[in-house]
Amino acid sequence: MPAAPTILERPQRWDASFDPGMTEEGVERVLATAPFSRMNAERFPKRTPLREILRNDTRISKFRQGEIIVRQGDYGTSAFLVLRGAVRVVLKPHLAPSLLGRQATKKKGIFRTLAQLWNGSRPAEFLSRRQLGRNTGLGTRQDAEAVRIVLQDVPRILDRNRTEQMTAGEFFGEIAALSRMARTSTIFADSDDAELLEIRWQGLRDLMKYDDALRAHINQIYRERALASYLRATPLLQHLDEARLEMVAGAVEFATFGDYDWSGEYKRLAQAGNVRPEKEPVILGEGDYPNGVVLVRAGFARVSQKIGGGERTLNYLGAGQVFGLDEIAHNWRSKDRPVNNQYSLRAIGYTHLLIVPTQVMEAVVLPSLPASELPPLIQRPEGDFDIDAPAASAREKVGAETLEFLTENRFFNGTATMVIDLDRCTRCDDCVRACASTHDNNPRFLRHGPSAGRLLIANACMHCADPVCMIGCPTGAIHRESFAGQVVINPATCIGCKSCFNNCPYDAIRMVEARDERGELLVDQEMKPITKATKCDLCVENRGGPACERACPHGALTRMNLNQIDALAKWLKP
Amino acid sequence: MSEPPPAPDFDAQNYARPNQNWICGHAGEGGQCRLGPDARGRCGAASECQPRLETKPGETKGRWHCTRPGGACESGPLPDGRCGGSLPSCAPVPTLRWLRGRMTFAVIAISCAALLIVLGHPPYRNGFINPGEISQAHSGAVFALRAATNQLPASCGSCHGAGNAGPGGLVNAAWHAEPGIFDLEKMAGATVGEPMAMDAACLKCHGGRNLHQVDAPPIACVFCHTEHAGLNMAPTTDANCNFCHGDAAKMMVSPTTPVIHHFADDHPQFRFITERRRDPDTLQFNHQLHLTGATIPRLPGGGKLDCEYCHQPDAAGAYMQPVAFEKNCRVCHSLQFDPQTPELTLPHGSGEFVSAFLRSLPNQYLQLAQKRSAPDPTGFVENKLAGLRAQFGSGEDLEQRIFFSTATFGPAANIGTLAGATRAIFPGCALCHEVKHMAGAAPEITPPVIPGRWLTRAKFNHAKHLGISCAQCHAASQSQSSADIILPPKETCAACHSPRGGVANSCAECHHYHQPQMAVK
Amino acid sequence: MNRFRRQILAGCLGLTAATAGALWLHLSYRARPDYAFLSGWVLLAGMFVLALYNVRKKLPFLPLGKSETWLQIHIYLGFFTTFLFLFHLNFRLPRGLFEITLAGLFVLVSGSGFLGLFFSRVLPRRLATRGGEAIFEKIPAQRHALRMEAETLALGRDANSPVIAEFYVKRLAVFLAGPRNFWPHLMESCRPVGGLLAELADLRRVATEGDRERIDQLARLVRQKDGLDYQRALQLTLRLWLFVHIPLTYGLMIFTVLHIVLVYAFSGGAQ
Repeated sequence: MPAAPTILERPQRWDASFDPGMTEEGVERVLATAPFSRMNAERFPKRTPLREILRNDTRISKFRQGEIIVRQGDYGTSAFLVLRGAVRVVLKPHLAPSLLGRQATKKKGIFRTLAQLWNGSRPAEFLSRRQLGRNTGLGTRQDAEAVRIVLQDVPRILDRNRTEQMTAGEFFGEIAALSRMARTSTIFADSDDAELLEIRWQGLRDLMKYDDALRAHINQIYRERALASYLRATPLLQHLDEARLEMVAGAVEFATFGDYDWSGEYKRLAQAGNVRPEKEPVILGEGDYPNGVVLVRAGFARVSQKIGGGERTLNYLGAGQVFGLDEIAHNWRSKDRPVNNQYSLRAIGYTHLLIVPTQVMEAVVLPSLPASELPPLIQRPEGDFDIDAPAASAREKVGAETLEFLTENRFFNGTATMVIDLDRCTRCDDCVRACASTHDNNPRFLRHGPSAGRLLIANACMHCADPVCMIGCPTGAIHRESFAGQVVINPATCIGCKSCFNNCPYDAIRMVEARDERGELLVDQEMKPITKATKCDLCVENRGGPACERACPHGALTRMNLNQIDALAKWLKP
Repeated sequence: MSEPPPAPDFDAQNYARPNQNWICGHAGEGGQCRLGPDARGRCGAASECQPRLETKPGETKGRWHCTRPGGACESGPLPDGRCGGSLPSCAPVPTLRWLRGRMTFAVIAISCAALLIVLGHPPYRNGFINPGEISQAHSGAVFALRAATNQLPASCGSCHGAGNAGPGGLVNAAWHAEPGIFDLEKMAGATVGEPMAMDAACLKCHGGRNLHQVDAPPIACVFCHTEHAGLNMAPTTDANCNFCHGDAAKMMVSPTTPVIHHFADDHPQFRFITERRRDPDTLQFNHQLHLTGATIPRLPGGGKLDCEYCHQPDAAGAYMQPVAFEKNCRVCHSLQFDPQTPELTLPHGSGEFVSAFLRSLPNQYLQLAQKRSAPDPTGFVENKLAGLRAQFGSGEDLEQRIFFSTATFGPAANIGTLAGATRAIFPGCALCHEVKHMAGAAPEITPPVIPGRWLTRAKFNHAKHLGISCAQCHAASQSQSSADIILPPKETCAACHSPRGGVANSCAECHHYHQPQMAVK
Repeated sequence: MNRFRRQILAGCLGLTAATAGALWLHLSYRARPDYAFLSGWVLLAGMFVLALYNVRKKLPFLPLGKSETWLQIHIYLGFFTTFLFLFHLNFRLPRGLFEITLAGLFVLVSGSGFLGLFFSRVLPRRLATRGGEAIFEKIPAQRHALRMEAETLALGRDANSPVIAEFYVKRLAVFLAGPRNFWPHLMESCRPVGGLLAELADLRRVATEGDRERIDQLARLVRQKDGLDYQRALQLTLRLWLFVHIPLTYGLMIFTVLHIVLVYAFSGGAQ
């Protein structure tokens, strides 16, 4: 007779509500405030009624003068609506980290580290009570007794830094909540009676889905604010003063290509073996008149060149990179010999771009650049057939096969891709064992995956620049660690819904059946095993960084940022 | 020829767990169960599901439902709530890593066991750890008896204090050794040849170090004498001697001794040559005359007089017996003084005897006549005496002549009817000896002192040099005076005893270190 | 220069310098009475640091430095320790059964280490060149799948060819049943499987049209199984050399401890 199983309650979406202290009065009050007062509750489905969204996915927080609400650089997943009082946004320059009370993720103490020596006898996927009960970040706070960091010397900040005030009825924080990027600015309370409605992004997503007015408004302010701060940080525009910057900001166009939720489509294509550049949406075509410089804001774009009957990939561009500058700068300097676009730019997955029109470039931006920063003139006249790829292209650096392999499989997304050199790997599994030793005897990756020649991309979470896994998590169990942006899953709040597991284009997430200390499966009241999503967490809690990389004796394994090709080129150098 | 194998089933559901030591026994057929063996290698398979009791409102008993992950089974749970289907259990398979761990454990166990067994048992141990054969002198029944007499333990313990100890004793001895396990500084600063604790064992039988110089520093026995080198102990090498003799700083205590490294290189010339020593002996002997002279008669038996006739090796063959007059000289120098009576010879060895003989000469002649059975003994005697008187004058003259004459030819004399120059029949004692006048007594003949050995600090063995002729080393045929020391210079020896010559040339070939020799108690 | 060439250059330079220095010290001090003790301690220190690598491997969760760095140190120190061993022996053969065993253990451990280094650098390249990846623990399952597929082809209900069936039972069943051709694969020889494929080709010549396709598929399966055997042979070699290196290290350490005790207990200074 097997031992009696351990029965737990199966976790639900709103088991861990955003704020258990959100009362009926709070919900009423919010419903009475714009824009919620204007919303049509009928449009919300039965499973997620408006009231329940407000009750479970929002929180009313009080702040006093000078207390920090969000910090620049944090990966947060909620947006805010000012209910009362005022808040201030610090625009330029950004505040020093010490002012923001920032600290790195807490690493395991020395005793817990040493205790891992006895991990070997643990049953697989054993979850302790502590781990099951552990909650993340904000959710554990019960009421207004939360920890607040107060900004020191607000008058000085007001003096030294450009700030902007926001009052009741204004939204902020939506950039981070919706684009899965870091907070762009620090925001602190500017009055003693500031009250904010914090909406976590699952709630915001649902609200935007079912209310048109809110959606339009959010989109509009998203563009305005995202643009302004981003342009300020662009290296190309560093030499512009405020006035000129405003001129550029006024003229810039936005473009979004592809689907926010690109992984589903991609997986379907990949299954059919049909991932090809020719099918991707064209942003700028080869041979077209260069009508603007493209700044990639989020997502990835492919640079390709027409050859034969298809396109060959030269490079891929990630956030922060620029396309088209060479041609426009050339045309500006040699007006008698203008050139067209040398290559074409295509969107991969989901790409969010800013385009600075050519007139603005010639009138404002290019004159501001010193001669040393101008790209060289283009020698090759377009239209000439040239079998050699340009020397600076990624294709030259790593070879055609590798580049196609990376692009086709969308591996460039990773900021910590596990790359294995098959010429050196002795298949000893030291890496997997090291991973297991730091994760309670459970490995969190598979030493296997697609390979091309000497390169194997193992099936470990790549901590993508564009983490599609985070779309759709009902509880926020999968989140980005504040500081360095590793994507981490909190087993306490994971309900095993498989959204992230299905989303991940690289099959990096695995659902495991949790067990108790005897090795028996944990089951719910229906006797179904409780599953949790697990994946590589880049050893955030461990001293010394990723254990896999440190454990490979032959230098065959590395966690590499593939957003730019140079690191890989250097690593693969023969 | 071969194709790449088909890629393994890419498991999007489960991790591979190389950190675990056991694999499900059904994995070889691709049917491993999802539970897997536990850390001890026991199969974890149990029933396929945990049946769920569903009680609808109004029911008392309720129904059991199957909750198998892949879909409910056909038969459903048993009435009492147990699952009817059980996963087939397996025999878990150990991983290579686990096997390696077992092998390591086995090697450790075997090593420890073997070593304990061997080392705990002296008979096995001695054969096992002995780095080389012990010399004959230090093994066998004779040595064992001697060791027992001198209160030394048997076998290894005779020399090594902890030789017969058990494991505890060995560790104890190792810990207390001088220099010990952690005395690295002392070891680094140790000078070569310092006396060691083990010398005490040697000294139990070989009493005293008996150094060749009183003020020479004590040196550890093993510095020169290494055991465990086979049937015979390893011979001492020049390096051992050079430890002092090759070191100018050490040789400061003996300013007259130069720094010497090797015989053929810088061993000094023999001192009797450098100091031009002469044999102060009073006995006169001309080797050249005797060996090459035309007038030297043949020996009885017909042979020519050669080195071997006078110089005979002693019983051991190393050195020569002293030359004796009776054995080696009288054959030619018969000490007869009358050619007609050659049987009458003078006694040798004492001047008084000679005087007494001469005084009793008539009696000697009388006995000789009787021996010869002469018809007229008295007349014979008278005749003889008259002749002598005629030749030599008085008896005193004869005596003087006998003692002091060095001539081999004498003046012409008429002897009886014989006329003309005749050879002096005998040289006097003074031909060879130093004869001194003594007032009122017989002349004194200085007893000759013939040194038996000239190079006393070295040893020599004539028996080993039999293949060489005497003349190759001893230039006797060039020596006319007995003051010559007819020994070869160093170069003659070095002609063979050198690396070029090929014969053993270590210091110990000729020299001793221990003076007197180390006796065994 | 890529990252490995830099490592090799640095390591070789270091090793050369250290060996030259050690050789000079050896020639200067070998006449000393306690030279064997001193050189023995240095050798022991070297062996201790070498053995620490296993400790590091068992503690991957502690920030003790990269395993790659440790291995580089282990390799070059291993070479250096071999020289130290020769200096300790003063280039003479060991005497006595115990010393011979001890020296033999050292030779086996360091020899297996050199062999392992050779394997670790040569075999992965071969595996990468051949292509295809196989997880070692999954190979039996894959082999089983190939065998099932071949059995169905040759002996299944729709296979109506007694010739193929007989060929399968006589030749292929043995080949597909377990891992084969370990040594030929290690020596990069194709001869054994070439023979089998030649026989299949021979069979194909006299087969009917429908059977030809079946035979082609069987040939494909044979080639895949051969590829799997290759993976297994090389990966097994990459694991098995450690079966000599690691257990014997423990034996060597035990014998070394004993050697130290004996040497001191029987030294001239012990009484």
